[in-house]
Amino acid sequence: MTKLAQWLCVLALLGSAWAALALSPASLQLPEPFRRALLPLPVYLLVTVGCFSLATVGFRLATFNDCEEAAAELQEHIAMARADLRLRGLRFQPQ
Amino acid sequence: QATATDRAVGFGLVAFSLILFVYYTLWIIVLPFIDSDHSIHRYFLPREYAVIIPMVAGLLLLLFIGVFIMVVMWKSRKPASKSD
Repeated sequence: MTKLAQWLCVLALLGSAWAALALSPASLQLPEPFRRALLPLPVYLLVTVGCFSLATVGFRLATFNDCEEAAAELQEHIAMARADLRLRGLRFQPQ
Repeated sequence: QATATDRAVGFGLVAFSLILFVYYTLWIIVLPFIDSDHSIHRYFLPREYAVIIPMVAGLLLLLFIGVFIMVVMWKSRKPASKSD
């Protein structure tokens, strides 16, 4: 089973559990505070996933170290390649 | 070490999303269990806004993404080809 199918199955399971509780007839409903917390749960989960993604992006941005040596080496490679290609007749636009 | 601005922005994002998560969790999950005459309810909007605000924000995000794609596609269109 693909990952997408797995995720959809889990979502369908949670979604039907939530719908069963939210749309239940008045006699079978949960006590009042639980019901008030239950109803916005899909929006809550969406916001939580969004917060988690934002935090992950921020954390990776903050901890991704610069690689000065690799950058210098890359610039050197680029300069060498340009010189070589110019010798072989390729014209460059001003960089 | 990442650039100073990178680190500032990165950790700023982490702090922001943490604060948002804690506030929203309190609002949605904790508040229903607290008596309505407790003073903590002063710091939270009426409950409908807990659903309306994220939905509006989501729609605005989609709008922004759509407009951005439009602008990028508009700028990258090639000049019309000449005909003989």
